[in-house]
Amino acid sequence: MNFFARRHLPALTCWLIGIASGVPSWAEEVGDMWGTAVREREYYRIVNIPISKDLVVEAGAFVTLPDKRIAVGTRRGDLYLVDGVDEEKPSPRYHLFASGMDEIFGLAYKDGAFYVSQSCELTRVTDRNGDGKADRFEVVSDAWGYANYHEYAFGSKFDPQGNLYVALGLSASYHSRALFRGWAMKITPEGKTIPIASGLRSPGGIGPNEHGALFYIESQGPWNSSCSLKFVKQGGFMGHPISYNWYKFAPGMGSPPAQPESGGRIVTEKERVKKLVPYAVIFPYIRMGRSITGFVVNRTKGKFGPFENQMFLGDYTQSIVMRATTEKVNGVWQGACYPFREGLSTGILNVEFTPEGNLLCGGTNRGWPVRGIKPFALERLEWTGRMPFEIERVTITPKGFDLRFTKPVDSVTGDDLKTYKVSTFTHIYHAGYGGPEVDQTTPVVKAVKLSPDGLGATLELGELKRGHVHEFDLGALRSRDKEALLHRHAYYTVNEVPAE
Amino acid sequence: MRLFSAILVLPFCLAISSLVAVAAPVVPGLHGKHPLNEAQVGRILLSELNCVACHHGDGHGGLAAKGGPDLSEVGRRVSPHYLSRFIADPAKAQPDVTMPDLLSGKSEEERAEVAEAITHFLVGKASGPFSQTGELDGDAGAGRKLFHEIGCVACHAPRDERGKELPSPGLRSLAHLPQKYSHGSLSDFLFSPHQARPSGRMPDFQLSREETRHLSVYLMGAGAEVSKPLQVRKDLAQKGGAYFKQYNCVSCHAMKGELKGKQSVALAKLRPEHGCLSMNPRNVPDFNFSGTQRKAIVHALAKPKEKVSTKERIELALTRFNCIACHSREAYGGPSKGLLPYLGTSQEGLGNEARMPPPLTLVGAKLKPNWMNKVLFDGESVRPYMHTRMPKFGEDNLRFLPGLLAEVDKVEPMAFPEPPRKERGKIRQVGTQLVGDKGLNCIACHNFNGKESPGFKGLDLITSYERLQPSWFYAFMRNPAALRPGIVMPNYWAGGKGRPDVLEGDAAAQVWSIWHYFSYGQGAHTPSGIHSPGSSLEVDDVVRTYRGRSRIAGYRGIAVGFPGGLNYAFNAETGALSGIWRGEFVSVGWGGQGAGSFNPKSRPVSLAQDLPLYALPNDKAAWPLLPMMNKENPVNPDPLYPKNHGYQFQGYSFDDAFVPTFSYRIGNIEVEDVSLAVAKDDKAILKRTLSFDSGQAGSLHLRALVGKIETVSKTTYQTPDLQLTLSQGTVLLRPFGANGNQELLLKLALPKGKSQWNLEYELLR
Repeated sequence: MNFFARRHLPALTCWLIGIASGVPSWAEEVGDMWGTAVREREYYRIVNIPISKDLVVEAGAFVTLPDKRIAVGTRRGDLYLVDGVDEEKPSPRYHLFASGMDEIFGLAYKDGAFYVSQSCELTRVTDRNGDGKADRFEVVSDAWGYANYHEYAFGSKFDPQGNLYVALGLSASYHSRALFRGWAMKITPEGKTIPIASGLRSPGGIGPNEHGALFYIESQGPWNSSCSLKFVKQGGFMGHPISYNWYKFAPGMGSPPAQPESGGRIVTEKERVKKLVPYAVIFPYIRMGRSITGFVVNRTKGKFGPFENQMFLGDYTQSIVMRATTEKVNGVWQGACYPFREGLSTGILNVEFTPEGNLLCGGTNRGWPVRGIKPFALERLEWTGRMPFEIERVTITPKGFDLRFTKPVDSVTGDDLKTYKVSTFTHIYHAGYGGPEVDQTTPVVKAVKLSPDGLGATLELGELKRGHVHEFDLGALRSRDKEALLHRHAYYTVNEVPAE
Repeated sequence: MRLFSAILVLPFCLAISSLVAVAAPVVPGLHGKHPLNEAQVGRILLSELNCVACHHGDGHGGLAAKGGPDLSEVGRRVSPHYLSRFIADPAKAQPDVTMPDLLSGKSEEERAEVAEAITHFLVGKASGPFSQTGELDGDAGAGRKLFHEIGCVACHAPRDERGKELPSPGLRSLAHLPQKYSHGSLSDFLFSPHQARPSGRMPDFQLSREETRHLSVYLMGAGAEVSKPLQVRKDLAQKGGAYFKQYNCVSCHAMKGELKGKQSVALAKLRPEHGCLSMNPRNVPDFNFSGTQRKAIVHALAKPKEKVSTKERIELALTRFNCIACHSREAYGGPSKGLLPYLGTSQEGLGNEARMPPPLTLVGAKLKPNWMNKVLFDGESVRPYMHTRMPKFGEDNLRFLPGLLAEVDKVEPMAFPEPPRKERGKIRQVGTQLVGDKGLNCIACHNFNGKESPGFKGLDLITSYERLQPSWFYAFMRNPAALRPGIVMPNYWAGGKGRPDVLEGDAAAQVWSIWHYFSYGQGAHTPSGIHSPGSSLEVDDVVRTYRGRSRIAGYRGIAVGFPGGLNYAFNAETGALSGIWRGEFVSVGWGGQGAGSFNPKSRPVSLAQDLPLYALPNDKAAWPLLPMMNKENPVNPDPLYPKNHGYQFQGYSFDDAFVPTFSYRIGNIEVEDVSLAVAKDDKAILKRTLSFDSGQAGSLHLRALVGKIETVSKTTYQTPDLQLTLSQGTVLLRPFGANGNQELLLKLALPKGKSQWNLEYELLR
């Protein structure tokens, strides 16, 4: 904002007009999806949550209230309280509680107050006179700079200790020109703001993984060849070195890490750059989303089907929802991602489980390429009660992987080594934007052992490649009722291999 | 002469139609332009009149019974009085009904006795009583418009101005509704018709609650009949339950707690002159068959058909669900002459395409499978200008249909490969150019990416890639009229020749470039000729506060607009009141990636955005200015400014009129900052009050004005476009920067505790 001083007005003017008109000067192909929508609908229905014609609800954040209403914060800065999202045939009521805020990408609720992450600050929003309209907007934290294009702020919900977290995007998505751009901040219940990690690029949602550890979503770009889920380690460096200049303002963070060398691999660079936290779950670009935005852990106690305690993530570009699971190996987080549901109607900016255990998805298609054709939409994914045949999860073992399935697999295909096509790749860790998949290998599948109930398969591989994404293609696998997998792929990022 | 005959003919028609209506059950699809022969019509009747619910349909291609309404909640939905009349003699209550008379051959008394018992049984089963509380809050005029516009009249008789049904053979009458429903229960039924009628023959138009109220008020009219609530008698209900079994009601009707019905003689063993089909049915269901209906059924029974072709299955389905009332397919179907006047559009210039539902010829080759599902089952549509709505018939009912259509509908395959990476830019550019007004000008008749066409607001082109199969798209583009006879869209590649100036005039490559361009989805460039409108925020009768970046207030900017047209901007990062303007409020950047930046709608008076409150150590000390950043030095050199000078923004709160009071801190001094618009003798004045709460006595400087300042009086100062009046305090006017500018510093001597300072800003232009 400090640009607005008198002396450089001409240069500033043309620069700002670019922002204001907001029309991207480029276009990108959005990529094809998995082609599984027709089968997916048998298991997970997409139900439209109608929005009255006179409203624009570009959802950016959700929080479920104690009275089961869902609060929706929007890119246009409105905060709606919506009831009826779970009705069999939704005919929801939208109550405009607050408006005039600046792009809401985080929403939490505590003791009658909303905690809104908007671009400029984290704000406590309350209704003091009880007339149903917010009348007080208190700054909880604005301890970061906000002065450039693309400086988004994604906020979390409360952790068990009452802390909130905010992930701050870089300036113009490449630079760090204002304080703490590219950092993650912790805001304590006392209102103290503590920088906790550097090296973020263009973060999406931030919150706990299924084990309660703090994670955030990173987007493909410089130093990130693909989108990924990353563990926000206290004092850690998340991979993009442009924001080192703020270490002197963060005494608790120590000295800046060594500069990573462009062109290497994370698995080797992390030995040299000690604070570098390896990316926990890599989402192969295009095949698994192009701009992942929000995520939430499924704690619906089975209401949403077989994937309890797993993360569900929305993708903006492809209008899809994916799954992820994580585990800690040798003190390092890693895990797998899986396709889940495609064919949503707009770019997904955030997801939230409703009181009835449906997955509410919302967003817009404004500004960036999006597959779904609606300018904005709210939709809920609901389980039809039918069990899909899916790879439930992949976990690592000292010699290979354990695969779990949602339905018993048949022994003809399940015992056949050829069924398990495993290949690996890694990315170049470099300053360029995105990057190709490199160093491909095809490990030998040496043995497979099905569990007696048919729900598990233990694979022994010739080699596990640290730093590589291990890609599974189980297209040939059949369930005992001869069904093919709904989604044949899974992608496990190996940072560490457990000891025997 | 002509008038005379019309007068003569009209009553005659009425007489005929009422005669026809009473005589036979109506299956609307069979009254349209269906492609079926007599045996096929017979098969449709076997299914639609639920013959196969009691008689095994083997030998007839696995015909499924349509099924009747779910009766679990009928006691709550339908008036008990009507229920009992209806059961006693369905055709008397509702002349064109498909429900047979199960009590044929019974005396009036016997009928009344059975009907009463079953009614008690049904009412007892429901989760609550039929309620007739009050009229609904609906608008009959809006209901009338909906009824005649969205497609109800494809199956139901339209009505005249007074609400009387027009004679409409082949359409189902709704004249009985006021006796049958309450306003509320009809409205509930219309909101979720498949709950009560899972067969989907009454489709779900995805009405909003409000629309169902309008329709209910219109269809029920003033004539909602009041019926006394029924006190269920246990003995009667029990007897009714027995009758319910005896008459095999569950064969057609779902009912909680009731098991499947019993089967009667198999179809193959039926003797045409006997039972239900006899001319004078007694003690069997009496359907009131017309002669032609009976003949068709007899014909079908005589010619069992085990193998039914895919083409035939599609024809049967489109007729059973009466898709053909609105859609044509090949040589059959399409709106009747009677329906045509009710098909409307907001884009008349686009011709019939804009008002008539699209033909289903080759639809299996046209739509991508996922989009087909979305249209059929999820209620998606892309033609907002078309008044008729595509309703939902229920996924369970039509799940089989997309696969059949895909099986038989074929166009010449055409693959559009992904262009090589280095060619993509060029191909996309050609596509953009062709779609725009300097190319083929597609956007003259089509919206694009949510933005309106400057001409007709036709189907949004950006949906093409999501919906259409490439082969169909290619065939259509190369010759639209071949696939859509009568379409307004011209053939741009007549004679196979494309525009000579792009892609060497290769027609196929040009279509490919457009397809590739569409594949970019929402991120596609906007073609030339399409303009996106800006968004304006308006202030109505309450004060409006809006946050967003702005050149007038910084990234942490806040705009405040008062009713009456005075507005100001506040830079929350520094606490500066940074601009004032008259007239309309702000335009906001909500297009594209726009983060909602705001701009005053008229030229504002700009004020300094530096930190305005500061304890200046002495009169000579320089004011702490905003750190400078520009293209050459983009990184903030003083990232803690102005917090390092004691400033911390704390937020704002509204009073009952939504006037914001900003709160911030300077060191340990709490500041409340509120401004009010005051109209005084046609002048625009902003009255600002700064309230301080200080732990100890001290002083602060307020940098109140910067620029070419003229002293008007001891308390009044002005720049060329603003006059500032101060209530009290010592003024320090000193040079600032070049160009003869000055800064006006007001020294505020703050006592311990609370104090208040007033400023008045008056716009001089």
